[in-house]
Amino acid sequence: MILTLLLLIPFLGTLLLSLWPPGSSSAQLRRLTLFILSAQCIASFAVLFWFDPGNPGLQLQERLSWLPSVGLDYSLAVDGISLPLVLMNAVLCLVAALASRRIENRPRIYFALLLIISGAVNGAFLSQNLLLFFLFYELELIPLWLLIAVWGGANRAYASTKFLIVTAVSGILILAAFLGISLVTGSVDFGIRPILSGEMGLTSQLLLMGALLIGFGIKIPLFPFHTWLPDAHTEASTPVSVLLAGVLLKLGTYGLLRFCLGLFPEAWELAAPWLALWAAVSVLYGSLAAIAQSDMKRMVAYSSVGHMGYVLLAAAAATPLGLIGALFQMVSHGLISAVLFLAVGVVYERTGTRDLNVLRGLLNPQRGLPLTGTLMIVGVMASAGIPGMAGFISEFLVFRGSLQPFPLATLLCMVGSGLTAVYFLLLVNRAFFGRLAIAAGSVANPNILSTVALQEQLPAIALSFVVLLLGLAPDLLVGMSQAATTSLSDLALLQTTGGLS
Amino acid sequence: MTAIKMTAAPTLPDRDELIHRLLSDQPLLADTPDHLLQIVNVLDSYGVVLDAYSRNLVNQGETQLLNPFPVMRFFHEGFSFQRLWQHLRGDRINFEYAEYCQKAMFWHGTGGMDAYFDSQPFLDTCQRIIALRSRRDPLLALVHRIYPGFAPEAIRSMATIYALGLFWRVMSDLFLDLSRRYRSGEIVTVNDAVHHIRDGLVSAAGDPISYKVTVGDEEVWILPPEAGLTFLVDVAVPYVEAVFFRGMPFLGTVSYNAQARQISADISDFKYGALYADPIPSMGAGIPPSLCMQDMFRNLPEELSTWYESHGRGLNDVHVQICISFQKSMFCVTNGAISGTMPHSLDTTDFDQQQANRAYALTWAERLMGCQRGALL
Repeated sequence: MILTLLLLIPFLGTLLLSLWPPGSSSAQLRRLTLFILSAQCIASFAVLFWFDPGNPGLQLQERLSWLPSVGLDYSLAVDGISLPLVLMNAVLCLVAALASRRIENRPRIYFALLLIISGAVNGAFLSQNLLLFFLFYELELIPLWLLIAVWGGANRAYASTKFLIVTAVSGILILAAFLGISLVTGSVDFGIRPILSGEMGLTSQLLLMGALLIGFGIKIPLFPFHTWLPDAHTEASTPVSVLLAGVLLKLGTYGLLRFCLGLFPEAWELAAPWLALWAAVSVLYGSLAAIAQSDMKRMVAYSSVGHMGYVLLAAAAATPLGLIGALFQMVSHGLISAVLFLAVGVVYERTGTRDLNVLRGLLNPQRGLPLTGTLMIVGVMASAGIPGMAGFISEFLVFRGSLQPFPLATLLCMVGSGLTAVYFLLLVNRAFFGRLAIAAGSVANPNILSTVALQEQLPAIALSFVVLLLGLAPDLLVGMSQAATTSLSDLALLQTTGGLS
Repeated sequence: MTAIKMTAAPTLPDRDELIHRLLSDQPLLADTPDHLLQIVNVLDSYGVVLDAYSRNLVNQGETQLLNPFPVMRFFHEGFSFQRLWQHLRGDRINFEYAEYCQKAMFWHGTGGMDAYFDSQPFLDTCQRIIALRSRRDPLLALVHRIYPGFAPEAIRSMATIYALGLFWRVMSDLFLDLSRRYRSGEIVTVNDAVHHIRDGLVSAAGDPISYKVTVGDEEVWILPPEAGLTFLVDVAVPYVEAVFFRGMPFLGTVSYNAQARQISADISDFKYGALYADPIPSMGAGIPPSLCMQDMFRNLPEELSTWYESHGRGLNDVHVQICISFQKSMFCVTNGAISGTMPHSLDTTDFDQQQANRAYALTWAERLMGCQRGALL
């Protein structure tokens, strides 16, 4: 029942928000949303009480037959792969609401959409039925589109439409693959279980897995399906960027592990060398593209393309270490990118620009944004994989887990990791070091940047501490997920040794 | 999104405008009520600080000559553990800033006093003092034998300390008097303030600078009256040259790479003084005279303190605001010094004298062109 509660809280919260007395101010609606999301956060962490980290299988299963004729069951469960993502969803949705301080345009709808996304993402992570997963996967699409289209920047119409079209294609491919499974196997059982060659030919497996790969590859996003992401990030408001990078991209990587690897281990094993190469290309492309950016937000967005490539690399290797690394990378990237986007959001709000050709010296202690700059440096260090921070653990696990099966791809990804330091140092050096300036050349600079209240930065500070905590005590996450990822790895490795048929 | 107020780029006064202002008895600084409020009040707090600096430097000159371990030099009002505690926790005047200024002045070494330091009478005096001190100071005797140049240089340095103390005594009184006249309604424009400073400098111009110490039972003149050193030419002008114009490449404010020849080998080319300083520090390093800003902050008149609260980031960046005001006031002092040292009266009708004045103004305008002219706006 606890898992259903994780859906009920945001969805009933949406209803409550809609019925809340008209005329309520944005601040009141935000407080109500914060209350609902806090309750969701508490409920999410409460799952830990019942969760057994040593059990690699599904836990806390809740099942209800819904439309048996089409194979749609209300089937929820949690394991070591989905639980960290559910927790991250709870935390980052709360952070997004906290960061939504200045929503004056239709705040009721804004916060309702935020709650719908939160519930839909929980549903997707907890679903144990392919069709149910698809429903929740699609459910977050329209709210996110609206959040960009209505509350986005100047070019929001273009970015949101591109996002809608591209991710709709992603949904179509995923649905087609799910229906294809039913068609080929002749079964209406949409439960999540490995489909092996005894049940489906390898060619069909490859085709269906390919459709899923592209579908989730768009969502992750991987090169060359990434083009919607920088535009969406650039036009999205800060809280939406936090959600987008921290939670919604993880639907793609989660799908990669759960459905591509989990459903088609044989096909995955065949495709793995090519996937590793794809990962290396994606990492290098994302990193090199990030170097070329002059918009801070676009740079962070391209860094996501690079960092999500590590997840594909580790998933392709499918070693126990690699898969725990992939999960660690998903969580650490979610937290780190949230810190980065929050910092960029403050810079943009205070200076009116994110242009790295213009911004200088924002770390200035007297007249700049020293705390924001500090948080940005913390985020940058974590993202670049500085030891002691979550990013280091995840990258180390990914590289260590992938080096043996795919040495060349791993080495190329390591180069990408080095490039992360290059572009983020460029960002920090340009925007935060030197003499304070927020306009280029002879254009008159405004004399004063207004100070940022500490409470506005508390979410980013708290997330930074979590990034540090996970870097120093990685077992907090590894211990929770290792059994599940090892089990998934065993499934993949059995294909290599021919142990499962 | 917070609205950022963007204003059109203001025009900096060019060389001709600076010459025009100097020759037409207009202040270099824009004559606005805000400027007047800032410069008078910041000079008021500076006057209080200079009073303390001056007393300390004069006391050092009287008591610390050739002291190998002058650790008590800041306790000229007497030592107590309470004062030591206040000193250690920074609840005090930062006398170190006065020493930085002295070092700049000593290092750049311009004017008659520096020339006198190399004269034979001064060297003879040094030998006399060293001989007298060496009788009861074996360490000095030993050091002097090994490093014969050390003790004379220490005496030169102490003479500069003493002279700076005398200079600041005059300036402190001048600035406090300016504040008094402002509050009594006599000073109502920036130009009035510049005139006050000019007149003060001119009236003290001929004051003799002399320095006498007692070593054992013997009195020795280090800077004797017969050396003819005077306030304006031999101390004030070298001070302005060293601290306002040349200064030192303060660490941290901007990265200077001496090996890449970013610092001139010729110290007369230095442009690191107060008039060139960037009031907005880069990174965590302090504003060049940050200790002085701290001292002034502790003595800010209420009028200026209130004004700062409604400007900039209020008290959060008050040191930057003080530095900005301080730089403006230093332009006024420079303005007063230039006016006071003009070769001829500004209202002269003699063509040659006018040309001489113009040439003098041109020289200064050239130097001011490289300064932070934005402070004049």
